[in-house]
Amino acid sequence: MSHKGLQGGHYRPLSCEQVESLHAAALSVLEKTGFSYEAGLDETLEMMEEFGMRVDREDSRIYFPREQLMELVSKAPKRVVLYSRDGKNDLYLEDDRVYLGTGGAAIKILDLETGEARHTTLQDLYNLGRLVDQLDNIHFFLRPCIPKDIPEALYDENVFYACLKSTAKHVMAGVNDFDGFHKMMDIASMVAGDLENLKARPFVSVIASFAISPMRLCTHSTRIMLEAVRHQIPVALSCAPMAGVSSPITMAGTLVQTHAEQLAGIAICQMIQPGAAVLYGGIPGRANLWNLGYQGGSVECGMMNAAIHQLADHIKVPNYNSSGLTDAKIPDAQAGWEKAMTTMLAAMGGSNYVHHAAGMLNCMITVAHEQFVIDDEIIGLSCKVLAGIPTDPEHLALDVIDDAARGADFIKS
Amino acid sequence: MSDFVQIAENLAAGNKPRVRELVQLALDQGESAKKILDEGLMKGMGIVGGMMEREEIMIPEVLDVAQFMSHVINEMLKPLLLEGDMNPYGKVVFATVQGDVHDIGKNLVIMMLEGAGFQVIDLGIDVPPETIVESIRENQPNMLGLSALLTTTMPMIKTTIDHVIDSGLRDQIKILVGGAPVDQEFADEVGADGYAPDASSATQLAKSLAN
Ligand code: B1M
Repeated sequence: MSHKGLQGGHYRPLSCEQVESLHAAALSVLEKTGFSYEAGLDETLEMMEEFGMRVDREDSRIYFPREQLMELVSKAPKRVVLYSRDGKNDLYLEDDRVYLGTGGAAIKILDLETGEARHTTLQDLYNLGRLVDQLDNIHFFLRPCIPKDIPEALYDENVFYACLKSTAKHVMAGVNDFDGFHKMMDIASMVAGDLENLKARPFVSVIASFAISPMRLCTHSTRIMLEAVRHQIPVALSCAPMAGVSSPITMAGTLVQTHAEQLAGIAICQMIQPGAAVLYGGIPGRANLWNLGYQGGSVECGMMNAAIHQLADHIKVPNYNSSGLTDAKIPDAQAGWEKAMTTMLAAMGGSNYVHHAAGMLNCMITVAHEQFVIDDEIIGLSCKVLAGIPTDPEHLALDVIDDAARGADFIKS
Repeated sequence: MSDFVQIAENLAAGNKPRVRELVQLALDQGESAKKILDEGLMKGMGIVGGMMEREEIMIPEVLDVAQFMSHVINEMLKPLLLEGDMNPYGKVVFATVQGDVHDIGKNLVIMMLEGAGFQVIDLGIDVPPETIVESIRENQPNMLGLSALLTTTMPMIKTTIDHVIDSGLRDQIKILVGGAPVDQEFADEVGADGYAPDASSATQLAKSLAN
């Protein structure tokens, strides 16, 4: 039995006071430090000024006064539904409801025949979609790998086509540019019957890494993010600071910065379309200080990803984050414990849409078929924990105890 | 004769006051600034590079030693050095290619190159080929380093190299490429002079290409 959409929230690393104080700290970062920005965002900057943000063009910096900012943030919906194509795996993202699935963009796969890492292909992507379609505990399909065997300019349409063809679960991916976004829309509309059907039940959504930590707006991804909002396609506002390199080494500092980045992104989307379906996409990460690699399997990542859900919940926006990352290169003991630990913590924290939870190895560079199957188990067990221990009369089983004590046995009863 | 090994080892161990003392002592004994730099400090940074490769020292500590070394050079040796002494391996123009904003790996490679005695001109992220060509014209480096982390921006490495060729500058520089999706095969395909999988090997390779 699949335990999807159960309520988490049993593990809350931050107290209520701590949540308040981190939120307040993030607001003051946005007022005092603000965001820097890349060239090419003139229209967006003008729009932001109209909504009361202060833009210093000489210093290329945007400051966010807290009242106007929070006014915008409050317009974001507290519930986002990401549909599946067949209606069997619709995801109701709100409160502490937990869903977990695959995460994106590996470039290598452990070959099924040789066990060696090789480049991923379009066929691999399709095969992994088929596999995930059959794995009950994986609740959605975020394209886990890149089709390295086709030209880059053809990625977007081929990725979405392969994903939609291979699974009926919700499909999410990044797109490379505007053109790619519209090709995705064409294919998804075709699958839905027409554009209106697609907008009514979006079974696809996109990711945009709109922020480059620390606190910088990326023109290319911001434009994709806003285009998705304009077309009523749900968008995950990804920002992924690595503690020690692109955010402070402390967990609290990394959480404050991540939360500030998210508040800004959410506000900008709501300027375009009040009520736009967005996912709070803060993914607090950590750098391995021996080599600066991505250390997603650390227990701190598990803790911070639970904490970031509390911050998202504080502003009532469903969240997208990560678990199940590891720098292990093969499905070994290290991969097992790091995945189990971070996935369990993310689930118990109540994170709504946890990606990377299945299949990933080697700091997001590699995936492996067997790893998806192992992670399906880890996710299932983590969700089982959320189900808790029922204590109704049937489960109390007093009759069974009585019978057994009088000579019957438990095995038969 | 001064004990350069002592300078190198104390630098690698992060004994800052001792390094200053030893450098001063060597100067007092009449050793040339260049010799102190090459056989003392640079050797020390070399030891640190090896420790980093074997994961015996953490990156923030490497950075700390590198910064300290440059303070010592600037404060104690620079006035006594000739132009060129400081950067025996020459100049590198370095960039993350257009369309790509990943720079953590690039910055690490640059830090190691600087520690090893290269002068690095860092053009940053998302750098168009035209800017790179301009910088080569202006700065006359002997090497170009290109980093790309996305399969979608790897072709920009080729485009950039083609721009360098079209500008007639290819012969005067060696080109080094790297980044997670890049490999030797790709480097050969696009006509780079070298590929390195990490910061330590990039430094070794750059040194061998410079000679
Ligand atoms: C010249 O000579 C040389 C020689 C050696 C050289 C060299 C040059 N350059 C590097 N080296 C070598 O030496 C270095 C030191 O040992 C090494 O450098 P590395 O950079 O490899 O190693 C660093 C020390 C640590 N590694 C890193 O810093 C990269 C880590 C990962 C997780 C990563 C990060 C952190 C980020 N990302 Co990005 N990101 C990933 C990365 C996964 C991975 N494991 O690589 C990757 C590269 N990203 C990816 C993606 C998809 C994206 N990212 C994006 C954004 C970001 C952040 C901004 C969030 C952040 C970058 C922050 C920053 N300031 O750099 C987006 C693109 C933005 C853009 N236009 O560039 C976005 C497209 C996400 C989106 N949907 O919007 C994937 C690429 C897939 C593909 N198509 O190739 C990815 C593999 C992760 C994944 N599986 O999803 C060596 O490669």
